[in-house]
Amino acid sequence: MRSLVLGLGNAILGDDAVGLRVARAVAERWSDAEGVTIAEEERGGLALLEQLTGFDRALLIDAIQTGAPAGTLHHLGVDSVPTQRTATAHGINLRMALEMGRRSGLSLPANKAIAILGIEAGDVLTFAETLSPELELAIPPAVEAVREWLRHEEDA
Amino acid sequence: MQRISIDPITRLEGHGKIDIFLNEEGEVANAYFQIPELRGFEVFCVGRPAEDMPNLTDRICGVCPEAHHMAASKALDALWHVEVPPAGKKLRELMYSIFFATDHTTHFYALGGPDFIVGPDAPAAERNILGVIQKVGMDVAGKVLKMRHDGHYLIQMMAARRVQPNWGLPGGVSRGINEEQRKEIEKLGRDAIEFALFSLQAFRDIVLKNKAYVDLILGDIFNHHTYSMGMVDANNRTNFYDGMIRVVDPDGKEFVKYAPKDYLNVLAEHVEPWTYLKFPYLKKVGWKGFVDGKDSGVYKATPLSRLNAADGLATPKAQEAYDEFYKTLGGKPVHATLATHWARLVELLYATERWVELATDPEITSPNYRTIPTAVPDEGVGTVEAPRGTLTHHYKTDSRGILTEVNLIVGTTNNYAPIAMSCKKAAEKLIHKGKVTEGLLNMVEMGFRAYDPCFGCATHSLPGQMPMEVRLRGPNGEVLEVLTKNLA
Repeated sequence: MRSLVLGLGNAILGDDAVGLRVARAVAERWSDAEGVTIAEEERGGLALLEQLTGFDRALLIDAIQTGAPAGTLHHLGVDSVPTQRTATAHGINLRMALEMGRRSGLSLPANKAIAILGIEAGDVLTFAETLSPELELAIPPAVEAVREWLRHEEDA
Repeated sequence: MQRISIDPITRLEGHGKIDIFLNEEGEVANAYFQIPELRGFEVFCVGRPAEDMPNLTDRICGVCPEAHHMAASKALDALWHVEVPPAGKKLRELMYSIFFATDHTTHFYALGGPDFIVGPDAPAAERNILGVIQKVGMDVAGKVLKMRHDGHYLIQMMAARRVQPNWGLPGGVSRGINEEQRKEIEKLGRDAIEFALFSLQAFRDIVLKNKAYVDLILGDIFNHHTYSMGMVDANNRTNFYDGMIRVVDPDGKEFVKYAPKDYLNVLAEHVEPWTYLKFPYLKKVGWKGFVDGKDSGVYKATPLSRLNAADGLATPKAQEAYDEFYKTLGGKPVHATLATHWARLVELLYATERWVELATDPEITSPNYRTIPTAVPDEGVGTVEAPRGTLTHHYKTDSRGILTEVNLIVGTTNNYAPIAMSCKKAAEKLIHKGKVTEGLLNMVEMGFRAYDPCFGCATHSLPGQMPMEVRLRGPNGEVLEVLTKNLA
């Protein structure tokens, strides 16, 4: 089974980088896990489709803003409230991109095999290369959540 | 009507807001449009080496990083007073043409096209790329994905990284291409031309043969008689990579043509208290408010305005498409904002033809693609046409090349005033006696989508899927009704 752990975000927009940071932390611990690809992506929409092609299951990690305290972890699915990059990049959301890909014959994970780990962000509109303190503290529990996801699928 | 003060959108809110004020008769008196804005870019950049900018600024935009990379590279050329050798310019323009074709494809099929190909009255659930596939044919999905795949693959081949290029240097680029790569670029370019021709034909068959759609394009609701801006070559033909900036008046007559470095002599910014956005306008005409006409300094910088500002396109099939465009729409200039979608397809064809032209240029595999700068850096301006409008990067540095000042005018910034005017016009048409006609949000979004705007797109979703809140207010400012879309 081919698994993808994909960190999403913008590296220079403060808390918007949290998905990328978590992916990097995961890669430091499990870079040689068999059948697991860990990657980063700064775009959304159709670009996610291109990343997901060829995998059986995927975990996307991204910043989200729902009003919860900064650092809160949200366990979401494809049909949940969208995160920044699963919402759209100029016009197409993740669900639509997946449908389009399937109609084109691409090999994509089933919707239920795609999990989204949304990490509640603070400021995502001010240019900065650092996360807020709350988001730095959220990285270890987020990495643990990724480990659980990987372990759950191994057991399955 | 009471004077109400509207605070600009707060830092923590991430959605767009439109406040519509009604008069005593329940008709629209004013509409104010606010979107979240990315902040602090200059502060972020000052103190960094200027050479970082091509790789830093390409993160500002989630869909047009190549545009920022190119504008930044040109700003570095100007900063260091270095001339790029012909092969370097051609390589840059080749990569840029590939990017333009990829980007315009994505926008047309995913964002703008659904309004026409599926139809503006179709249910929202169908008015998207899946609806387009349903109408045009299942294989169009594969064609769109192939164009994107080919484009990104070639950009990575040339520029060493898939979407955020790692390539532009002052005086040229970091690597060239060999003959094997050139052949592949040419082959995929020829495929891209066929795709562009297919897209234009689909537009003719589905949109132009449908009177209702043509009436919608030519209808008054998004018609704004403004000045038009675009970059042109020495023959006044559109060029996305290099040239002078030409502005024509609402009647199509040349108003000014200027070198990028002189943009501050031509443009100024107007400030409104209800938004953090600033509204560029033509200095010599002056700011007269959010109004059309020759006496108003409002201008547009879009695919449509680029065609208006040019005397034609420099490649043969695109020139035919340009002629057809103006003949069908009643001559130059065209002010129907929705025609921007068609203009985008004409530009798509130009970008693909230019791609093949450059890929078959005898100099394109030359190893002479960079001049090492020797001058002391001080100040430089780099301008390109981004898909969404004229994009300018302006840097000042100390003698070591460390940034002291940065100013960017991104493509969409040029269009803030026309976008606000479109919002207001849609509201005026659809709200009478205090009643909101069904489809208000969609009509407002249709206005946005034509501009394919970059509103904080590095982090946020956009109109089409942008979380948006429309507040209808009475004559005393009281909120009468709130419409929301895509808000959690």
